[in-house]
Amino acid sequence: MNTQRVWFAFFIVLALTLNFGFFVGEIDNPHHHNPYEFFLALIVSLIATVLKVGDRSHLGAVLLATSLVADFQLIAAAVIWGYASQVTGEVSVAVLASVVSLAGGAMLANLTSVILLIAETIQLKR
Amino acid sequence: MSSNDRGRTRIRGAAMWLLLLELRTPLITLIITYSISVLGLVLIPGMTPEGTTYHLSFLDAFYVVSYTATTIGFGETPHPFTSEQKLWMLVVMYSTVISWLYAIGSVLSVISDPAFRRLRAHQRAVNRIASQKLPFWIVCGFGGAGSQLIRFLDQSNIRCVMIDSNQARADVAKLSDLTYELDHLVGDVAEPQTLVDAGVQSALCRGVLVLTDQDQVNLTVATNTRILAPRVPVYARSGTDANTRNLRSFDTEVVIDPFRVAARSVTQLIRKPCAFALYHELVDPDLNHIDVVEMPAEGHWVICADGRLADTVVEAFQRDDIPFCLVSNQAPKDKRSVTWVQGLGTEARTLRAADIAQAAGILAGTNDDGDNLSILLTAQAENPQLITIARRNKPTSEPVFGRGHFTYVLREGRMIAQEMYARITTPVLHQFLGQLESMPEALVEGIIQKLQTRLGDQRPELSHFDLVLDSQNAPGVLPFVNTARTPKLGDLLIDPGFGYPAMPLICLLLVRLNGDLVPFPGDGLLLAEGDRLLFWGAMGSHHRLQFLVQREDLFEAVLAERHRVYSQ
Repeated sequence: MNTQRVWFAFFIVLALTLNFGFFVGEIDNPHHHNPYEFFLALIVSLIATVLKVGDRSHLGAVLLATSLVADFQLIAAAVIWGYASQVTGEVSVAVLASVVSLAGGAMLANLTSVILLIAETIQLKR
Repeated sequence: MSSNDRGRTRIRGAAMWLLLLELRTPLITLIITYSISVLGLVLIPGMTPEGTTYHLSFLDAFYVVSYTATTIGFGETPHPFTSEQKLWMLVVMYSTVISWLYAIGSVLSVISDPAFRRLRAHQRAVNRIASQKLPFWIVCGFGGAGSQLIRFLDQSNIRCVMIDSNQARADVAKLSDLTYELDHLVGDVAEPQTLVDAGVQSALCRGVLVLTDQDQVNLTVATNTRILAPRVPVYARSGTDANTRNLRSFDTEVVIDPFRVAARSVTQLIRKPCAFALYHELVDPDLNHIDVVEMPAEGHWVICADGRLADTVVEAFQRDDIPFCLVSNQAPKDKRSVTWVQGLGTEARTLRAADIAQAAGILAGTNDDGDNLSILLTAQAENPQLITIARRNKPTSEPVFGRGHFTYVLREGRMIAQEMYARITTPVLHQFLGQLESMPEALVEGIIQKLQTRLGDQRPELSHFDLVLDSQNAPGVLPFVNTARTPKLGDLLIDPGFGYPAMPLICLLLVRLNGDLVPFPGDGLLLAEGDRLLFWGAMGSHHRLQFLVQREDLFEAVLAERHRVYSQ
């Protein structure tokens, strides 16, 4: 067993699970979407990106691309949320809906990542 | 082909990937310390001045952590911190500042790493070569021959890419004074990848010039090029006959053996001094005048040499029937037919044994520059009338050899550069040099005298150039070809200016479209379309000639003038 592979898979799966946890619930209900969970999803997604850097195979490149998509979506969501709460002063239903939908998009990217990881693992010969 | 392309892109991105790999740990450390710090600040309750508790927003927390980590330290916002917050801030300060400095330090150490810099420089060179728009030659080895040849070719507007295994030499190459920026790769030329990086497979690559002084390396480069790019010609230096045969066995286009070139030059100087002077003026862009050495009619030659130079020179002297006495430590191969004096030649005693007082000239050709100078100085003291030929081994000895008043100095690098230059610049030049080998000395003397009469009492710098009579290069001449007024060669040598003076030029060779060669053609020769001409004369006069052949009206005026002179 390779410790590096464990951490690699751990962060990729954790990015998806946290992202899913934030995403589920009614899209416009603030009680269903925890900001701390969102924060953790963003951090874990960033760590997963850094871990994917340096693998120069074709699969590695696609994995890195999916992670970059997830980061981009989550950072966009964070900026919208932060701007609404700090500058406008009010998180409206429309703002929350767009934050959650952006996170939903990020979740799809993370899901692709996990599928690729599973596909690679299954192909692996002992 | 596709696997090659992938290999190349991989190499191209290598430096960036190396940087990212090195930065993986520092980046993750940075992300983790930042996120823990931000989370802590958000979770720990603060107190407003009015006494109510509040939580920092993520934005405030990220702001505070960011300016703390970068040691900017704007202070406590939005309200002064409570003791709990201060305790947490202590943790934040030490952990984030350290991880921040660690990350920055890692970036700087990777960037300033010599291996990383070399990789980057290599990549930049490879990228520049790949985006090259003009044809180029690959020169392997930036020694005496390589640097000289790159300079010679630059004077004919031919570009080069240089490969050398030595970083110091590459730095010298960077400083060389050329009209373009010389791309140089530092790497082992014997490795195929280096050749590929230098662009051997590019459609613009005109040939590979292998000039290192190791025969085995030259051989490897030649074979690699044959396989990697079969259409690219290889010009190689070879130091032994066995290696020459080996290179020729797989059709290496040009093999130049500096020892054979040296032996040929020396015998040419002795037997045909005019051909020697003309040859060297033509093949050396640095030599712009013609000096014919006056050879004494009688006397033998003293050859102080050993090793391969002694063998090749003795062979050449015997072939041309030049009397000589060999001074060397080793006995010659063929003892019976060679007069041999054992010794080094640096002492007057040995030279007297070789009868230096009656000799016509001396060749100092040992492989030590100090010995060669000593031989020549001793010999000149014994017989001041001697013709002196020196062999210079190290380019660093040039100042002494240049000022030494020797008749001729054999410089290996320069000889190789001259030989290759003659073959690369224009095919007509090489064809003429082939004719020159077998031309009688009296004819060559006639050529030189003919130019001297055309030049009159002026002694301009000389150069050569070629002209093709086709619609692109000579649109002014073509309309008259194959008519009643078909131009003759002499018509080209008239200046269209006031009074129609003769141009300071002569034609050395005319090559017909079907490949027929007319060496040293007469003025009355009729011109035909597709003729290729090699002219030789005052430097800069080719501008006048090109001006004449471009303009139909000017050329017609010249023809009319000729006709008027003839009919009188």
